Amino acid sequence: MDKIARIDMGATGGPKISYEEVGEYSGLGGRALTSLLIAKEVHPLCHPLGAENKLVFAPGMLSGTTGSMTGRLSVGCKSPLTGTIKESNAGGQAAQVLARIGYAAVILEGKPAGDNLYKIIINKDGITIEVDNSLKLLDNYPLVAKLRGQYGDKVAYITIGSAGERQLLAASIACTDPELRPTRHCGRGGVGAVMGAKRVKAIILDDAGMKTRAPKDPEKFRDANRKFVEGLRKHPVTGEGLPAYGTNVLTNVLNEAGGYPTRNFKSGVFEGGAKLSGEAQAELEIKRGGTATHGCHRGCVIQCSGIFNDKDGNYVTKQPEYETVWSHGGHCGIDDLDTVARLDYMDDNIGVDTIEMGVTIGVAMDAGIIEFGDKEGAIRLMGEVGNGTPLGRVLGCGAEITGKVFGVEKVPVVKGQALPAYDPRPIQGIGVTYATTTMGADHTAGYAIATNILKVGGDVDPLKTEGQVELSRNLQIATAAIDSTGMCLFIAFAIMDQPETFQAMLDMLGAFYGIEMTGDDVVALGKKVLSAERDFNARAGFTKHHDRLPRFFYTDPIAPHNQVFSVPDEEMDQLFNW
Amino acid sequence: MNTLTPATLQLELVAGQLSAFYPLLQQGVVVGCMVGCRLGELLSDQWGISPDYVSKRVTTIFLNSRAIDDVNTALIGPDAVIALSGAMPGLVGATMRRGGYYAAMRGAMTYNDESVATSFREATVRVKLFNLLLGELGPGFLQRGILLSGTELVAFFRNQGIEFRHGCRAARLNGLAIDPALLTEDADLARIKSVRLTVECRDAV
Repeated sequence: MDKIARIDMGATGGPKISYEEVGEYSGLGGRALTSLLIAKEVHPLCHPLGAENKLVFAPGMLSGTTGSMTGRLSVGCKSPLTGTIKESNAGGQAAQVLARIGYAAVILEGKPAGDNLYKIIINKDGITIEVDNSLKLLDNYPLVAKLRGQYGDKVAYITIGSAGERQLLAASIACTDPELRPTRHCGRGGVGAVMGAKRVKAIILDDAGMKTRAPKDPEKFRDANRKFVEGLRKHPVTGEGLPAYGTNVLTNVLNEAGGYPTRNFKSGVFEGGAKLSGEAQAELEIKRGGTATHGCHRGCVIQCSGIFNDKDGNYVTKQPEYETVWSHGGHCGIDDLDTVARLDYMDDNIGVDTIEMGVTIGVAMDAGIIEFGDKEGAIRLMGEVGNGTPLGRVLGCGAEITGKVFGVEKVPVVKGQALPAYDPRPIQGIGVTYATTTMGADHTAGYAIATNILKVGGDVDPLKTEGQVELSRNLQIATAAIDSTGMCLFIAFAIMDQPETFQAMLDMLGAFYGIEMTGDDVVALGKKVLSAERDFNARAGFTKHHDRLPRFFYTDPIAPHNQVFSVPDEEMDQLFNW
Repeated sequence: MNTLTPATLQLELVAGQLSAFYPLLQQGVVVGCMVGCRLGELLSDQWGISPDYVSKRVTTIFLNSRAIDDVNTALIGPDAVIALSGAMPGLVGATMRRGGYYAAMRGAMTYNDESVATSFREATVRVKLFNLLLGELGPGFLQRGILLSGTELVAFFRNQGIEFRHGCRAARLNGLAIDPALLTEDADLARIKSVRLTVECRDAV
């Protein structure tokens, strides 16, 4: 990862490629690289779909190594959905392959005139770009099938579906998994629309002839990785719960807690929750010949994914995650896993963010377009998005726009991005993160639950209700750092509970780069990333008044706890004061 | 037959068929117990779940939808709903964890009733088991007995496939042996208001 490639899609005479040393971005990866670069190089007031915006693909700091759990790819840009800076990341094979080819980042710049559609081929010999209009309006599954016919199975693909081409604001960027299915998505913030605006339909990554990235201290790296893997395997969450049930194991617990947003955030309990649970899902997957344990990239120890088959044993989609099962399930009053799986496939195929689309359909239900619980209606609406009909284009631009078009008062978004699957009234701490994150409502922005190990901002008494802002601040700092390593956020439990596993992670970083890493270094990196992102957003016109939840969370109590969101604005405004 | 003296149904299953009961256990089953005690006492003294197991494996507990931090202070009343879960992933998993570092984030739904214990008496509570605890605690609850209405029982048997029926080796209703195959159609069973179902597992011969 010693070079950066820039591709000016709008250059006179066709796309122009240039290469440069990593320079000031040396040693950075993932979110740190994308956010620092976007904050520096992109005009904060540019139109996100215009030539001034840039789309940065960056593997994590440890991607392409033999290190476990290091396969996240970060994509950064100014978001067309939120207007803020955006980093969206995904698993799959792309990060590992891109890193092995040697790129710290590939940056798409400019915007081509005309209607031509491009594909980019990246291999050991460099980068080539070709016009391929035969790919126009293909969705991700048929698109990857067609590309495989030409480029084979020993590559990784980054693609957009029809939603990205149409520049819909919920459009995602797909990365293929080890079986070359386009199931891993940089989902949030409409990054697929930016790729569509650059007229890039696919990036083919071929690491033939390349080796895994070599650490500065191979022996120490190998030893640290072994301890890290041992830590993940022995922890009950990463070693038992996630492999057995996936993230959807949360459905039962959130529903029992009264924190499961139901029918567009009208209740915290869904009567059909048990039918959607991870436990029910895992049993169904196994019974139908699929699997409840599967990794999204090679080198994954946790294996939190799975394969969902239909009743005849035919592949439908990868195991829908908790967020998907919620957004298309309880949020829409739907209690049927087969319907959710079908919608998950459509999300992946059309290329849209599964959270944004599920929430949008729920908002459309609230508007009376279809009834809550209407399974066929939900599939029909997704079909409209895939077909690019006028209604589909409205829906494909997300919950906020759909709410405005159809006159819905209560639309669960922050900075234009749909809230994920945790109601911020009973779980107020997560509401602070939703409101204040630089990314728009995002549960993963404050997810790296190792702050006690990191000692970010000191200790907070866990049994007192004060300290929501401090906790969220600490979580956001830790997450910004972890997002830069390329490591999956699910390592968080093991590094929170097991200091030796956290140390092993630090030792992996240290041994790879030949430096001594401490918790303070991780914290400093997280703060640096967040500061750059906040600065970009401020220059883009965002103020403290944008760091708020929608008003109804402050006024409408939710059953069963009958709580409203009550963290004072003045406290939230202190979150980024460090 | 009334709720105070329920009918009894004893099932003998081939090991491996117990997972058929997991959906019921997830949604919650009614069990008889002595209430007016602390949750920790109920779990260990009445249900025989060791404090060490509770401490290490039952990391997330809800009592009437409120997150529990200390099993030794939470008071159990009649008709209480108790949900027991293993370790959960993600920030919310950490937030819900008993006495966890992020418990403050769900302070609005944390159990903080400071009532003193009232009379110790017989009653029923609803127990829900989630994730890893289904396989670990489920057999014990089924062995001790769960209360279902006859309608629920018949619906349960009708939902089972051929494997379960083949794995159901014996059944005794109020002490009398009956053909397990008839449980799906038993009109008398459907009319019973409350049945105490106990399930024993045996290795297949």
